Amino acid sequence: MNKLKRLTGRRLLMLAPILLSGVPEYLLAQGQWLPTFEVVPSGEWTAARLEDGQPDIQGHWSNTVGNQDNFTDPRGGIPGDPTGAGGGGAAAIGTNNPVGDRRQRAPSRVSDPVGGEVPFQPWARALQQEFLANFFNPTKEQYIEPLARCAPGGPIKSLYWHGYEIRQYPGYIVFMFNSSSRIIHLSDAPHLPESVSLWNGDSRGYWEGNTLVVDVRNNNGKARLARTGEFHGPNAQITERYVFANDGSAYTYHATIDDPEVFTRPWTVTIPAIRYQEGSPLNGWHYPAFAAEHDGDELINEVWERTCVENNGNHGKVSIQ
Amino acid sequence: MSEKTSIESKEWHALPGRAALFMIVAALTIAYLQSGEPVVDAQQTGAGIPRTVEGRPDFSGIWQTLSVADYDLEPHSGRVDAPPGAGVVKETNIPYQPWALQTRAENFAQRQVADHTRLNCFSLGVPRSVYYPEPFQIFQRPRDITIVRQFGAVRTINTNGTKHPEGPIGFWLGDSRATWEGDTLVVSVQDFTDQTWLDRAGNFHSEALQVTERWQFIDPDTLSYSATLEDPDVFTRPWTLEVLLYRHKEENFQLIENYCYTLPYDEFYPYPPFEDQVREP
Repeated sequence: MNKLKRLTGRRLLMLAPILLSGVPEYLLAQGQWLPTFEVVPSGEWTAARLEDGQPDIQGHWSNTVGNQDNFTDPRGGIPGDPTGAGGGGAAAIGTNNPVGDRRQRAPSRVSDPVGGEVPFQPWARALQQEFLANFFNPTKEQYIEPLARCAPGGPIKSLYWHGYEIRQYPGYIVFMFNSSSRIIHLSDAPHLPESVSLWNGDSRGYWEGNTLVVDVRNNNGKARLARTGEFHGPNAQITERYVFANDGSAYTYHATIDDPEVFTRPWTVTIPAIRYQEGSPLNGWHYPAFAAEHDGDELINEVWERTCVENNGNHGKVSIQ
Repeated sequence: MSEKTSIESKEWHALPGRAALFMIVAALTIAYLQSGEPVVDAQQTGAGIPRTVEGRPDFSGIWQTLSVADYDLEPHSGRVDAPPGAGVVKETNIPYQPWALQTRAENFAQRQVADHTRLNCFSLGVPRSVYYPEPFQIFQRPRDITIVRQFGAVRTINTNGTKHPEGPIGFWLGDSRATWEGDTLVVSVQDFTDQTWLDRAGNFHSEALQVTERWQFIDPDTLSYSATLEDPDVFTRPWTLEVLLYRHKEENFQLIENYCYTLPYDEFYPYPPFEDQVREP
């Protein structure tokens, strides 16, 4: 019954070539990525609510189209890879080789402009290209991707860097990422003073039907959006819209980045995510959970402590050549 | 076996005390089951403490100690790297085994460079993460209590009847499973790494550490926190530290992330630096 429910819930994702071989989470657990996704439409929330009235979207989530190797071509590998296998380290093995031609691969994470390119000002484009050109052989500290050093991924990249958990409380939503955490304040209290800048920003949010809208300020602009080097500046204003499907299976994230110091116009990132839960295949990347020990019969999965810098667990090159 | 060892051995088990505690817990549990309502011990909790919908004490909020426990758990005079403190160890001094006392002395001598936990901004362990001098926020659901600090891993205290996984595991914050004893949250924490110090003075433990925490309100804005540390590889007997935790009530007070392990390379990003980030020397 439960499984049947989950299967029908997946109809939301348009996966014609894949449906025959199983539900998406099983493919993802095997290290495959999905080449396409359907955007969840914004609208009413008709499903379960928490006691404080928030839509209940608690649980474990992970993106479906690719990791952080390549921002505008998520399955395109990292351009310039001398091995042809990508430089992402063990976590990315098997996921970052270019697949097929561009039309067969997942779309750019940039959904606006429609061409899928980041509308960088020329100087900023040159910086991104410089970073990428030096990614595999970093000769300066700034060519090392900060996440490789366990730095927080920032509000955007954190959503395609391992699966993560969302917990909800009256007045708050807490994201627990692989590297760092983030607290969304569901209030209109003022942001921190402008001179305070943070890897994961300072977030104020509210619910609009099935959509969580979050205003992110106080960004430090230090995270790269991918190993391909895209970035925004420290004065970026990010408006996030997390649109949740009423069947609880998926959500679509849109972030509009307004940063006239770096870009020629505001632009939008779109990231799909699906939910993992008891019964989903455990997977060290998307759903690094363990079955809890207890006296009852029900399956209770839990994610253990997530540390990175403590374990010297870097993700790629962290020293200059 | 020397007389001293014999006494310590007896204290280790402390059976009469535990039996009495068991009786109290059993009585409270029976009262709870009979009434269907959580037991409120007015003497322990004070009146008007916040409660969850389920009737449990609601620890949600931002908390911080005012003690100087993180500088040195034991009594100490003021020194160049620590304000003075009367100590937070119930037994006054930590009952180290002789070899461990020597190690603690070596740690103390090297404390300004060897406190890797703090100096590298690693997850601080338990109980140190509770009395470290930065605020932390508690989020509470029936199934678990989540503790978010300004840096380090998020801690989950499971209150859903699940058990410790089979160890050893080597968690930085240990594995936390809790039960309610009336209005007191009693947390069993184990499966630790031996990499964390207990304070800046070089107090330490091994992977065998087992901590029993007790969290309870003494008034709506103050928590009493105690941690009993057992580590037969390092200490001669269990010992207990106690601190109070105060609620932050400043207007719009919030946590501010402090991933200070990024500071050694902070200057390299973003590149080139934006004008408003260039600071006067």
